[in-house]
Amino acid sequence: MDNKTVETISYLARLQLDKDKKEKITKDLENIINFVDELQSLDTKDVAPLSNPLEKVASKREDSITSKSRKEAFLSNSPESDQDYFIVPKVVE
Amino acid sequence: MSWETVIGLEVHAQLSTNTKLFSSASTKFGSEPNTQVDLVDLGLPGVLPVVNKDAFKKAIRFGLAIDANINQESSFDRKNYFYPDLPKGYQITQMTKPIVEGGSIDIDVDGDKKTINITRAHLEEDAGKSIHDAYPDKSVIDLNRAGTPLLEIVSEPEISSAKEAVAYMKALHQLVTFLDVCDGDMSQGSLRCDANVSIRKVGDSELGTRTEIKNINSFRFIEKAINFEIKRQIKLLESGEKVTQETRLYDSGKDETRPMRSKEFANDYRYFPDPDLLPVVISDDEMEEIRSTFPELPADKSKRYVSEFQIDESEAEIISSSRELSNFFEAAVESKNDPKLAANLIVGEISSLLNKDNIKIDESKLSSDNFNILLQRISDGTISKKIAKTILAEIWETGRNADEIINDQGLVQIRDENLLEEVITKVIESNIKQVEDYKNGKDKLFGFFVGQVMKETQGKANPQAVNDLLKKALNS
Repeated sequence: MDNKTVETISYLARLQLDKDKKEKITKDLENIINFVDELQSLDTKDVAPLSNPLEKVASKREDSITSKSRKEAFLSNSPESDQDYFIVPKVVE
Repeated sequence: MSWETVIGLEVHAQLSTNTKLFSSASTKFGSEPNTQVDLVDLGLPGVLPVVNKDAFKKAIRFGLAIDANINQESSFDRKNYFYPDLPKGYQITQMTKPIVEGGSIDIDVDGDKKTINITRAHLEEDAGKSIHDAYPDKSVIDLNRAGTPLLEIVSEPEISSAKEAVAYMKALHQLVTFLDVCDGDMSQGSLRCDANVSIRKVGDSELGTRTEIKNINSFRFIEKAINFEIKRQIKLLESGEKVTQETRLYDSGKDETRPMRSKEFANDYRYFPDPDLLPVVISDDEMEEIRSTFPELPADKSKRYVSEFQIDESEAEIISSSRELSNFFEAAVESKNDPKLAANLIVGEISSLLNKDNIKIDESKLSSDNFNILLQRISDGTISKKIAKTILAEIWETGRNADEIINDQGLVQIRDENLLEEVITKVIESNIKQVEDYKNGKDKLFGFFVGQVMKETQGKANPQAVNDLLKKALNS
């Protein structure tokens, strides 16, 4: 786990890390990767991939509208809004 | 040098469900901004997504229609990226275990048939809508669309021209509307496509570098965007340059594609299984239910119309190619109307009115009930077929009841023999020369006399009665 990789990952996650934090996280990530490497040394050829540790399946919802508009509440809780919209920094030039 | 084109399409079909893929907020188009947003769509902490049963039903119905494998156990993954119209910071999609895999779609380009294989079709959620021109230095976000279920249909790179791409898109459009999987309204973004385009020298086995044209939302633009892109790539390669792998946008105003703003980092979506969602299992019983409610597709409909109602094959094909027209036709037939007459008017007069206004039949002012009245009045002899066209034109403008129009404008067909004889006598007396010619063997003039009688009666004369009475009068 080198510095560059940590920077890339933190950028992708939009996390700003100072120097001390970065060093600590680099170590943490290294430990995690070593642990995963250890797991991967196991032979799992005959084991089906497990996408969820709960051995259950999803329950499905009927397609009927039960949700009501809470527009005012939602908009008033955002950093910036007008009557109708959430306002954000310009995302294109 | 000759080049060949390789195209793969990714089509996003908005599923016509009432609610979103993971929340019970409405998916209705065109509502007041941010009124169809649920806590789940907003991505607030602590909320959990619950899958919509109907979204799966529709995706499976599509899979069955293209003869694909249905994964009765499928799962969801997170695709991570940041954009303001994606509140959670990730899109929920099916990366590893999509609901539909394989299958194929047949296309027809000017009579040449071809089969395009489908790689996969998976469920995912749509993003919200960003609007960039509301304020000079801000963007605004409407989350009504966030979480709307999409079926992303991915084709193999087997499409080899812009024309084939359009034919594929049209075939897909017909299929999803007939299956009631998607409303197919491209102007509202219900069906949109990304095109992966590359070119290579004829005979090369390796694919060239591709570009992806994003979010094309009309048949015409698909053809234009792809053709522009093919020309651009050929020009680059022939002048010794290289094609850069990138995402481009089609600008219909300038009829060109141009690169989207390059990102500082290449896309790295870091997919991983969504821990909030358990695997979705479709039971054999559920599969059976979906199979048993499978709708009739155009080719089968067309055959049935011919065998059951004895209408022309060409008319049957036109009617069955559109879900709206076939519903309209079937409603008329169910009300015990003459199928041939109904088919005739739908393919003739009504289709040309629809084309003129560029609308679908359910957007017109002609209701099924009113069409039934009109058909009955033709069948019971109240009006002639010719007059029916005048009435149709009036209904088209005003939506008025056919009986009302017939009564108000005195359009009832004339079958009163005395009245018709009077008109015929008048026509004969004022066309003595033509009568002589006719009697001297110019049989073709018979049509002229019929026309004159029709003119005198403003088209209201019963054609059969006119024929009979005219023959009698002229041959006497």
